[in-house]
Amino acid sequence: MSVAARFRLNSISYLAFLVWTLALVALLPDARLGLFLLAVLAVGALLGSSGLRILTRGRFWLTLASVVVVSGLLLGERDLQWGFLRLSREGFIIGLWMSARAVALMLAFAISLAALSVSEMVRLFEAANLRGLGFALGVALNLGPVLRDAVEAAYHTIRLRGGFRKPAQAMRLFLVTVIANALRYGDDVVKSASARAFDLDAKTEPALQVGWADALFACALVGMGAALVFAV
Amino acid sequence: MGSSRWAVRDWIYVAVFGALWGILEITLGSYLHVLFPPLADTFVVGLIMAGIGAIIALVGRWFVPKRGSVLGIGVVTAIFKAFSLGGIVIGPIVAILAEAILMELALWLRATPTRLLYMLAGALAVSWNFFHKFVMMWLLYGQGIVQVYTKMVKEGSKLLGIDVAYAVAIIVILFLFRVIVGAVAGWIGWDLGRLVGRRLARE
Repeated sequence: MSVAARFRLNSISYLAFLVWTLALVALLPDARLGLFLLAVLAVGALLGSSGLRILTRGRFWLTLASVVVVSGLLLGERDLQWGFLRLSREGFIIGLWMSARAVALMLAFAISLAALSVSEMVRLFEAANLRGLGFALGVALNLGPVLRDAVEAAYHTIRLRGGFRKPAQAMRLFLVTVIANALRYGDDVVKSASARAFDLDAKTEPALQVGWADALFACALVGMGAALVFAV
Repeated sequence: MGSSRWAVRDWIYVAVFGALWGILEITLGSYLHVLFPPLADTFVVGLIMAGIGAIIALVGRWFVPKRGSVLGIGVVTAIFKAFSLGGIVIGPIVAILAEAILMELALWLRATPTRLLYMLAGALAVSWNFFHKFVMMWLLYGQGIVQVYTKMVKEGSKLLGIDVAYAVAIIVILFLFRVIVGAVAGWIGWDLGRLVGRRLARE
């Protein structure tokens, strides 16, 4: 069982972790990035997050490798000969630090996102007194597949009628059709909400509350961050 | 954006336009990424997607004529995109949020928007595309601004057929191009809002 599940960390802790990572990426000197990266990985592992799965993706490593290689080719004095290529040791090192920052940010982002479900996100907005936005988000995510079908249907209808021979007119027709259809779906949702006497101001779920585990987690992050920033 | 001032219909429309922008980002955006090589991403794909996003959000403002609606649409789109794809999507999310904030700032100037304000909002939103790579390089890698600038000048020189020596002119032209595309997107957004409104009123 992960630490998050055992101690019931809520979404606020994951967001705190994301903010912590963003702040340290901006504050830390290059020399401490290795330790910082280890700390991010350790927190991710402790939380038992599926966000760490991005480490198994080829595209992720390819992006980082390209940063290191391009830096070796473009930055610093070229003091290494590799076949017909002249590379820079300094460039490689700069590329490595750049990649370390990128890995930390991407990991924090993936870990935080993997932990947040739609309902958690809605509750987060409610906690921030933005209930309407949470409601809109829930509606948007549920409307997604329907609207996607509407977009595809409009595209194929215009294409089959030969509308794309005049691209500008076709684009206008496409956008008008798609937006008008989307608004019709929106009106259906409004009618359903009215039929159920839905009231945005009525409370349905308890708002997110910061528990002792969240406070402890935040303190640990602050302590770890201070140690990384101020360690001599 | 307190819920007390907003009706359920307003929030549902925000959701509809947020979802629409998100869907176009996912479907059309992915298609364009395949169509154009990665090096042209920021300029071509980014520019097209920023323009379309601005149009959708500004049409949304037509139907939810309240301050904050464009920002709401942007937030919904950003989260929609994050949940739909997963993985490395920091760049587009930052871009969507920045564009929404810039459009909202322009629309805050007057309670009742005009075509000119829509054009300003569009221009501001799409001009973010120019700064996006600089900000992302700084945010993700902590540096690289000089490299982005150099690359932008080289690519711009090839595209415009102007010598690299006129770097400032190239940068200004590239920036102005985005401003013009954005203003056109604002113009289209204004017209589309009216057209869709008329079409729905006829039914």
